[in-house]
Amino acid sequence: MSENPYQTYDARILEVKDLTSREKLFTLRFLDPEVGEKFEFRPGQFVIVDIRGFGEFPISICSSPTRKGYLQLCIRKAGRMTKFIHKMKEGDIIGIRGPYGNGFPMEEMEGSNLILVAGGLGMAPLRSVLWYAIDTGKYEHIWLLYGTKAYEDILFRDEIIHLLKHGEAMNCSVKLAYEVESPSCIYLERGFSDRVCRGVVTDLFRGEEFDVEKTYALICGPPVMYKFVIRELLDRKLSPGRIYMTLERRMRCGIGKCGHCIVGTSTSIKYVCKDGPVFTYWDALSTRGLI
Amino acid sequence: MRYIKLPSENFEKFFKSLEAWGTVYAPVRKGSIYSFQEVHDPSEMALDYNRTMLPPKKFFFRPKEAILRLKNGRWEDEVEAEPMVLFGLHSCDIHGLKILDRVYLDEPADPYYKSRREKTLIIGISCMPDEYCFCKSLGTHFAMDGFDLFLHELPDGWLVRIGSVRGHEMAWENGELFEEVTDEDLANFKEFEERRANAFQKELPQEGLADMLDLAYNSPVWKKYAEICLACGNCNMVCPTCRCYEVCDRWMDAYKAVRERRYDSCFMENHGLVAGGHNFRPTRLDRFRHRYYCKSYFDPSAGYNCVGCGRCDEFCPAKIEHVKVLEEVRGSLK
Ligand SMILES: Cc1cc2nc3c(=O)[nH]c(=O)nc-3n(C[C@H](O)[C@H](O)[C@H](O)COP(=O)(O)OP(=O)(O)OC[C@H]3O[C@@H](n4cnc5c(N)ncnc54)[C@H](O)[C@@H]3O)c2cc1C
Ligand code: SF4
Ligand code: SF4
Ligand code: FES
Repeated sequence: MSENPYQTYDARILEVKDLTSREKLFTLRFLDPEVGEKFEFRPGQFVIVDIRGFGEFPISICSSPTRKGYLQLCIRKAGRMTKFIHKMKEGDIIGIRGPYGNGFPMEEMEGSNLILVAGGLGMAPLRSVLWYAIDTGKYEHIWLLYGTKAYEDILFRDEIIHLLKHGEAMNCSVKLAYEVESPSCIYLERGFSDRVCRGVVTDLFRGEEFDVEKTYALICGPPVMYKFVIRELLDRKLSPGRIYMTLERRMRCGIGKCGHCIVGTSTSIKYVCKDGPVFTYWDALSTRGLI
Repeated sequence: MRYIKLPSENFEKFFKSLEAWGTVYAPVRKGSIYSFQEVHDPSEMALDYNRTMLPPKKFFFRPKEAILRLKNGRWEDEVEAEPMVLFGLHSCDIHGLKILDRVYLDEPADPYYKSRREKTLIIGISCMPDEYCFCKSLGTHFAMDGFDLFLHELPDGWLVRIGSVRGHEMAWENGELFEEVTDEDLANFKEFEERRANAFQKELPQEGLADMLDLAYNSPVWKKYAEICLACGNCNMVCPTCRCYEVCDRWMDAYKAVRERRYDSCFMENHGLVAGGHNFRPTRLDRFRHRYYCKSYFDPSAGYNCVGCGRCDEFCPAKIEHVKVLEEVRGSLK
């Protein structure tokens, strides 16, 4: 492999799937099997996607390392470069470098319950955790609390509905909150009245109790979501060290050089790209501006 | 450390010998400012300079450079650097390079920076502080390492400290130019250092500084200065430890493109902007404060991210003074 950390590796787009009107799922495979072989990652890590001649941008890996041979990225059309990749098709080649960041401490959490709290696009990195936890079977019980704007915005809708129906057999309970009413939502709510409701993600905590000694919470969503979700968790006496969140910042290099993702003050500075993007609530308490 | 003496009459010969090691760059006077430029003769240099506008970081981390070139659909790189000798660096700038090293040589190392750094010899020179310098407060007024040779001015020559194996080699190859250090030289060296220590006009008290600043996060002083600040980013460009960069791809013709990086400034509005228009530092106050926190970050194993060179003060069009801001912020804690 190249010594140059800015070099990227060719990957072929095997499949492009529309998830919603704004998000597409890209399934990729490295052209060089040796690169593919060496590419190991943890749930919560991200890659830098390179569209040669147009630029680079960071994207979380949304597939699980337990499912080998391919890599999946869920990309929202948000601006110039993501618009460009949305035009790409099966067979097209893009560049990938990474994986970057620390990822979630999956080993440390083995044997415990996991509460995954996802808001909107935050479902993407948490899907990697979800399938990793289900596939390895090393976790006691998994809750997925997912807040979305409308039925049409539910990412990985087929998988979510499948888990709503059959999740318990996999030790996984899914709960869904939507904000905009629609016939499809009402239909879902009728079928799963205890698990689907109109509201925001924090409403899904109502009535939930959990064993704080044996539970970890993993959060990903828009910036405004963190404080509210964390409050619910702290109210239930979950230790700040058991609250993990994955954060977004502007990123250029992904490896602690370009300075864009720096947060903090004179007593504590963190690089979201290399010290994170996964942080505990202790980190948020000691580093201003993290959330 | 090994100490030798370079008598004044041998200085020119010694300087000429440096060209065998690489292109020599040294401080040169240009109008009212100084800058590191290629030099071929000692007479071109201004060794009594106070500070250059751009610090020596420009040789390793360039204001603008191509990091990758797209040819036939593949990125290619040119990492190979030319050998250089940087002559006449002040101690604070040597410390500045050490701070950049911690970022750019940390794994995975930046190959461009690393290759230039490995091919460059650093020769330090003693200096006298002016009204902007506060390196003494930060302990960066004397370099114990980070150089190959360090020249301390004596009335009749230079006391040379040898700081590396390559420094030894440079002295060895020109053995006839050097002499043993005498007791008189030592007395002169000591006298110079004492005179210099007493010449500092600016001081940044250290006691509890990092904590006090953190506690003063909501101080109105930040706001006061953020209103005066023009957000021009000059202070970032000239700072020897600022090293943010922005990246952009550019097409040369229909078949060739380059991926370029250039200095970026945390005063620019889009520094913390992400997709969808969310900005993590939306106001000038956020950005002003961020720079001060970044510079004042205290790493227990390495110190602050500021070396007290005084460039940000000298080149600030709004005449904002770094030490004054920090002192006022700390003073605003009641
Ligand atoms: C760790 C991490 C994981 C992410 N995971 C995902 C994911 O799984 N799915 C997804 O859709 N999005 C994800 N994002 C956000 C994604 O990086 C941005 O949507 C994308 O960079 C937007 O690029 P653009 O050119 O289309 O947008 P524009 O709005 O045109 O961007 C303008 C400029 O800002 C830059 N920019 C904008 N947002 C970001 C950002 N967050 N980080 C760095 N540069 C940015 C762009 O590169 C561009 O140069 C993630 C971001 C981070 C930091
Ligand atoms: S912050 Fe100012 S004084 Fe400190 S190193 Fe940077 S330019 Fe020099
Ligand atoms: S040089 Fe002065 S005016 Fe310009 S951004 Fe820095 S502090 Fe503000
Ligand atoms: S993304 Fe460049 S330093 Fe973190």
